[in-house]
Amino acid sequence: MSPSTVPVASGETMAAAESPRQPGAPRSGPKRKRNFAPLWLLSPAALVLLTITVAPIVLLVFLSLTNYDQKSLFTGEFAEVGLGQYSSIFTDPEFLRSLVRTVLFATALVAGSVAIGMGISQLLTRLGTVMRYVVTIVLIFAWAVPTVASSLVWDWLFQPGYGVVNWLLTQTHLFGDLTDVDWAQDPVLAYLAIWLLIVWQAVPFIGLTLNAAQTQVPEEYFEAARLDGASEWGIYWRVTIHFLKPTLLLVTILSVIWDFNVFNQIWLVSHGGPNNATATLGIWTYKTAFIGFHLGEGAAIAVVTTVLLMIFTAYYIRNLVRSGEEL
Amino acid sequence: MTATSPTQDAPSDARPRKRDTRRRRKLHLGVNITAIVFCVIWTFPVYWMVNTAFKSRPEVMTATPIFFSQHPTLANFIAAFKQSSFLLDLRNSVIVVSGAVVLSIVVGAFAAAALSRFHFRGRRTIMVLILAVQMLPGTALLIPTFLVFNSLNLLGTYFGLILAYVASVLPFSIWVMRGFFVAIPYEIEEAAMVDGAGTWRILRSILFPLVIPGVIATSIFAFITAWNEYLVAYTFMKDQSMYTLPIWLASFSNPQTGTDFGGQMAASVLFSLPVVVFFLLIQRKLVAGMSAGAVKG
Repeated sequence: MSPSTVPVASGETMAAAESPRQPGAPRSGPKRKRNFAPLWLLSPAALVLLTITVAPIVLLVFLSLTNYDQKSLFTGEFAEVGLGQYSSIFTDPEFLRSLVRTVLFATALVAGSVAIGMGISQLLTRLGTVMRYVVTIVLIFAWAVPTVASSLVWDWLFQPGYGVVNWLLTQTHLFGDLTDVDWAQDPVLAYLAIWLLIVWQAVPFIGLTLNAAQTQVPEEYFEAARLDGASEWGIYWRVTIHFLKPTLLLVTILSVIWDFNVFNQIWLVSHGGPNNATATLGIWTYKTAFIGFHLGEGAAIAVVTTVLLMIFTAYYIRNLVRSGEEL
Repeated sequence: MTATSPTQDAPSDARPRKRDTRRRRKLHLGVNITAIVFCVIWTFPVYWMVNTAFKSRPEVMTATPIFFSQHPTLANFIAAFKQSSFLLDLRNSVIVVSGAVVLSIVVGAFAAAALSRFHFRGRRTIMVLILAVQMLPGTALLIPTFLVFNSLNLLGTYFGLILAYVASVLPFSIWVMRGFFVAIPYEIEEAAMVDGAGTWRILRSILFPLVIPGVIATSIFAFITAWNEYLVAYTFMKDQSMYTLPIWLASFSNPQTGTDFGGQMAASVLFSLPVVVFFLLIQRKLVAGMSAGAVKG
């Protein structure tokens, strides 16, 4: 299945070398005596990661079982409330709404960016050298603009009164006079603007990564398909997609994880508004923890979000291991 | 396939190819038009940012947007440089970003060496854990880190922000650098071992020098991540004199008095410039690094 048979093979030897039953199995590297080098090489990173990621996660879980809030920040006093925060979240209709919003929006983002990315990847294979170069540069520019800057540009593009998008849409005479439409103040339009922003910025990575994989497909397969009289569409679905599958899956899972976590773009364009209409789980967590300063409750929401995300993360990692990537 | 000579190919293909050419040319035109339309749409936001940055104030706020400024001016850029907050926040950004990059690269390079050149039990588990850590939602880490830093008085300090950035950059750096270490053939190491070089010697004289291009690429990735970071800085750095550039940039937005969009776009251009330059410099490695290092492992 996988077009890269070499990594699969090396992955297997690795697994054999590490299994305790076969101590003498061949290794891909030179044999070494029991060596403590990896231990001291890893220890600085381990120390750093333990103190600034692993410990905080443990603390987060603990926090989610307390009623830690603004007062506690000053007095240091708080009470353990068991699963109280969780039961109050799960009975809060706002949680369900926020969860549904996040899932739907992430789905729309992933679908949009992967679909357009696939199109761009295919487009790149069809272009001459010059145009391919131009498109690549354009993609890199869109990719390179920092999300803070692009969100502010979006704010300006979609500004009511003086924004160029409203002006352009008004010029088409399709929707009437849209000059004073405030995108950030309308739930549907706010989503649309943010969707455009995130997709605009996600397409370059997806398109270029897919294209890198697509150029690895041996030309013979296309030639064979063409000789068999397959149509362009047929070739794309049968040959290209077949070879792209592993990369496509990877890009999709990564997009799911990233889009589930989107923060900056929503925060800077709509602040989660109007009336929490664009408050996804990330925004809601932030508002609860750092605006209302209900840190205990915020922690509980964050734990729930993390658990949900872990499903995708686990799937992604399992996929990596399965694809024979040398871990 | 390779055995077929071009002379054999030519006659059998001659007829279908002619019919193909016309169809191909039509397809070719369509493809190029699609590409141009795509380029126009995708460039437009960047163009509008740059375009606005060079406009004078009256040209920014017009009922009919001005697509090509009649009087391009550097006033917005000069104004940005004259703001004392710009230079101060630039300094803050440089301190925090370079601290985070240096720390995560040094620590990460050792870990990457251990995870690529040695075989030991638990290695796969460590790799998977590092990857999992990287996928954690930012807001999840933010809450406990905020509390810990609050009690350690690290909120609003360079060191605190550096540590927070290392947390987000280190896992990724280990993965990317590991990819570069893996690419070094074992034979080189073996030859050095035969010559009696020890582990440290091999690392210092052979592996680290060979992996320098990878280290540079990884540093650029790390730089971009830290340079662009908004949420943590926004939450931790409440004192205006400690703002980093992303916060400075966002602080132009003022719904009450009206945002100075010319100034904000000029600031956005200044802020984006180093990132865009780096992206263009490492564009090849970027795709390879993202898909082979960070994405595919």
